[in-house]
Amino acid sequence: MFTRLSDIDRLFGTMNLLRNRLDNLYSDFDRSDSFRWAIQGSVPRTNLYEDGEGFEIRAEVPGLAKEDLKVNIQGNYLEISGTRSSDAPKGYRIHKTERGADSFSRSLTLPTDVDATKVEATLKNGILYLTLPKAEAVKPKKITIG
Amino acid sequence: MSEKTDIVKAPEKNIEKTGTLYEVAPIVDIFENEDEILLHADMPGVVKQDISVNIDNGTLSLSGVRKLKTQGKATWEEFGNVEYVRNFSVPPTIDVERVEAELKDGVLLLHLPKSEAAKPRQIEIKTA
Repeated sequence: MFTRLSDIDRLFGTMNLLRNRLDNLYSDFDRSDSFRWAIQGSVPRTNLYEDGEGFEIRAEVPGLAKEDLKVNIQGNYLEISGTRSSDAPKGYRIHKTERGADSFSRSLTLPTDVDATKVEATLKNGILYLTLPKAEAVKPKKITIG
Repeated sequence: MSEKTDIVKAPEKNIEKTGTLYEVAPIVDIFENEDEILLHADMPGVVKQDISVNIDNGTLSLSGVRKLKTQGKATWEEFGNVEYVRNFSVPPTIDVERVEAELKDGVLLLHLPKSEAAKPRQIEIKTA
């Protein structure tokens, strides 16, 4: 019997803690495919940002050099693909390989038309940064009131 | 009856924590030969200054913080600011003085050389 409000408080505190732990349960390894199935279109993970001038796409591609990545763009259809090669040295005993070495491909359709000639890509610290300026026609324009 | 009848939470429970970073375990590959143990950990987006590698008492702890600046509105975000943390137990035969770490393309490459005394040695049998 709860005669003290501090007991109820503690109960809710514990429930919150449990709920947070359960929320984080699947994120512990930051990926949902614990069997290493690269579900088509979910690898690599990307973020898409937008402002008036254009888009920025970032993709998590650790262990990949420029030569291993390919970015194709057509109209507003973007495809990022690549192959991760294994960096396992010869003659070593293997204890654990969680990283894997597969090829991947992911395609996105961007919200509005992108000027394909002005797209820039930079690879830094294992993250691919793509700047995609919007085509002139779709940029927000300021309308002056006469 | 109870001695605590205050509806308001006791002050010590109101400690505000500034946003804590999501903690995640980086995925790793571990290889071994006679001379050393290699550990490769994926930590994309982390810069050298934000990584700490500690070996203490047989435990190797890796920690890397990724904080990325963003501009514009995020339409979607599948990865964000995160702290990569993972601990391993290392055999005592590792020569801590000679451990080397390299960060390349978002992958942390650790060399853990084994101390000389631990390497397998063939013992010669002398006939008396």
